[in-house]
Amino acid sequence: MKKIKTMGTLLVSTAVMASMLAACGSNNSNNTNAGSNEGTEASANTGSNKADAKAPDTSKKVELVWYLLGDPAKDQAKVTAELNKMLEKDLNTTIKLNFTTWTDWQTKYNLLLASGEKVDMLFASSWADFYKFANQGAFMPLNDLLPTYAPTTWSSVSEQDWKEATVNDKIYAVPATYPEYTPDGLVYREDWREELGLPEIKDLASIEAYLEGVKKSKNITPINGKAYNEIFTMFKSYEGFQQIGGDSGVIVSKSYDTPRDIVAYPFTPEFEEWAKTMKTWAQKGFWKSDTLSDQKEAGDAIKTGQGAAYWRNAPGAGGFITGLQSSNPEITMGYFPFSRFKNLTMPTLSVNNAMAIPKSAPNAERSLMVLDKLRNDPKYYDLINYGLEGTHYSMDADGKHIVTPPAGVAAKGFIGYDIATWGLRVESMERKKQAGGWEGFDALLEEFKSQSKPNIFAQVIMDYNPVKSQQAAVNSVIQQYGMPLMMGLVPDVDKAIATYRKQLEAAGVNEVLKYVQEQANASFDAQGIK
Amino acid sequence: MKGFFQELVRNKILFLMIAPALLFFVVFSYAPMVGVYYAFTRFSFDGGLFGGEFIGLKNFEFLFNSGVLWNLTKNTVLYNIAFIIISNVLQLACAIFLAELPGKWFKKSTQSIMFLPFFVSFVLVGAFVFNLFSNSGVINTMLTSMGLQTYDFYMHTAPWKYIIVFFHVWKGLGYGTVIYLAAIMSVSDEYHEAAKIDGANIFKRIQHITIPLLIPTFILLILLSLGGILKGQFDLFYQIIGNNGMLYNSTDIIDTYVYRSLAVNFDIGMGTAAGLYQSLFGFVLILVVNYIIRKVQKDYALF
Repeated sequence: MKKIKTMGTLLVSTAVMASMLAACGSNNSNNTNAGSNEGTEASANTGSNKADAKAPDTSKKVELVWYLLGDPAKDQAKVTAELNKMLEKDLNTTIKLNFTTWTDWQTKYNLLLASGEKVDMLFASSWADFYKFANQGAFMPLNDLLPTYAPTTWSSVSEQDWKEATVNDKIYAVPATYPEYTPDGLVYREDWREELGLPEIKDLASIEAYLEGVKKSKNITPINGKAYNEIFTMFKSYEGFQQIGGDSGVIVSKSYDTPRDIVAYPFTPEFEEWAKTMKTWAQKGFWKSDTLSDQKEAGDAIKTGQGAAYWRNAPGAGGFITGLQSSNPEITMGYFPFSRFKNLTMPTLSVNNAMAIPKSAPNAERSLMVLDKLRNDPKYYDLINYGLEGTHYSMDADGKHIVTPPAGVAAKGFIGYDIATWGLRVESMERKKQAGGWEGFDALLEEFKSQSKPNIFAQVIMDYNPVKSQQAAVNSVIQQYGMPLMMGLVPDVDKAIATYRKQLEAAGVNEVLKYVQEQANASFDAQGIK
Repeated sequence: MKGFFQELVRNKILFLMIAPALLFFVVFSYAPMVGVYYAFTRFSFDGGLFGGEFIGLKNFEFLFNSGVLWNLTKNTVLYNIAFIIISNVLQLACAIFLAELPGKWFKKSTQSIMFLPFFVSFVLVGAFVFNLFSNSGVINTMLTSMGLQTYDFYMHTAPWKYIIVFFHVWKGLGYGTVIYLAAIMSVSDEYHEAAKIDGANIFKRIQHITIPLLIPTFILLILLSLGGILKGQFDLFYQIIGNNGMLYNSTDIIDTYVYRSLAVNFDIGMGTAAGLYQSLFGFVLILVVNYIIRKVQKDYALF
């Protein structure tokens, strides 16, 4: 697999080729928005649209190109064909559904936007740099289009959700209506903990006791694989540090209650102490000294009885645990959300999953009309999210939820329909339970809701443009000096911390810090937070 | 100009034959060069590909500011020198041995076996390396079973230079050998027969016939590889070392540094800038070395 050999040549050649190709494929599907409000004979085509007096013109047949993340389902062609049949009848439209696959999806996603490929709608998310792209002008502002072309969505999505999709006073995405809590946490072997009489996991000391206990008695490496995520997310939650501006940086707000106290965490005494603790953990063998080179997920080792802990966010833990229940019923798992360290959870932003329209989209209006259908018409919603009834699922007796595999289909060898439609989910339309139907999840959700506070940090918008060379250098230093420290792998912690700090300063961490502080303060001012 | 058209008409078949190759280079090598421009702009979606604001050398700053560039360039160059010299010498030696081997069957199968690693992807090489050198890997398991102290490879930088060079050489050995073997085969048998009659033994013949006749090929290959001396083998380093910051001191090359710095924020301008630096360095280097070679021995020079 060739990753990025020399980023430059790869990018340039791809971008140039793409622009050449794009230039060739002339713009034969001109705008359909002209005179859209004079719905005369066209209004008949729009079928069940309730705003019939002002129904947009769909007299022109349009093929839309949409991009979703991830892989297509096995029966994707069948489902898409069915969808197109319905869309053609209702909106005189067909959709070409493209997928980025998960391999190098970030690179592909970036290139899709940068090359100006004709895409009518694509998945967007705060974790796919939505704010950065919106700020740079990659997406089309939707304020004027939404009331006309997606009236149902426009009126049903809450004001707060729209606000979170707004950058510089313009709405740049249609957020999914699917509130979630995704705190990090640790999945562990509850059966082993009970068997060995170890204390219930509720704080750092009991985590250590658990890891030590299973290490000694079961003679395995507890976090058996790459362990950085486990430790880094634990560190953030344990200290109550709120990371600002991307998951990979070193800039944190020291606590939720003092959001303007922004520092680079490697310079805090908390980090010093943590690094020392982690050194003792590493020496006790909670993970292997080659963990940073390991490519294996710690969760895979749990399935084979060779591991005992694994980092997952709460819904992810549910999926992992229910997966184990069917593949390894002899194992009982427990879950400890790190949010319990500080009894604080924040709901995800509405744009955690959303759909956006690139600036170069030829048929933005039609895309919005299709999205409105997909989100609000149960027929469409079930089809795009769950596939074909009878083939991929059947309705439960309650008429609300679905069962897979469908009645009369053997579970063995059944391949379900599951694509990343996260950007267009609507909670009230869902026929699946969150977290894969894990029975422990409802209680957790209650707990999260009871300690929930608004997510004030994710809205700090940064594209790092003024400090991008410093940021690039800092990223590199984190990997070289920070990650070994976090994993307790250095021979002398004090010396390593001194080196780390020196290197960070040389790389320009202070400029980055200053930039983040400015942006964060501006955002807090706008949000009315002290 | 008139002369050129006459030439074109006279040799139209020949020109036609070279056309696909020319087209290939124009489309895949020369046209993309336009993109060098990105190295000096700030990309923006408003302006499209060529509408970015011109910002001069700002994109190059991240290479120079942090002060790591010298170390990276040194690492990259030294690794490549080791790769080039060790690979070429070993390939040359293997080719000579293979050429002198009697027995067609043995020769062919040896050649094939040597060639095989060339087809192994770097992802697999990375997996091999991890399973050989990790704490529970082959080597440490062997050491334990022999009652010896285990060695924690992933905590020490020292062995990695050798490991990386070894795997590079291992992977390219068969391929290079075939090139040298082809050069050896083109040496006329008459030289060897004449030498035999004069009483030269096999070592004399290798020393005085085979090697001197291979020198032009050797120099050509070295020259060609020099152009890429600043282009580290990203696949090799990334797959073997990965995210292990412990080992970067002796294994960080420009490509891995650029990847690490820009994987997070995906900046087209800065990525292009780094690529341009590498290409320029290689371009200057190849001009200089070619100039020197032309001074010393005109026939061997590339151009």
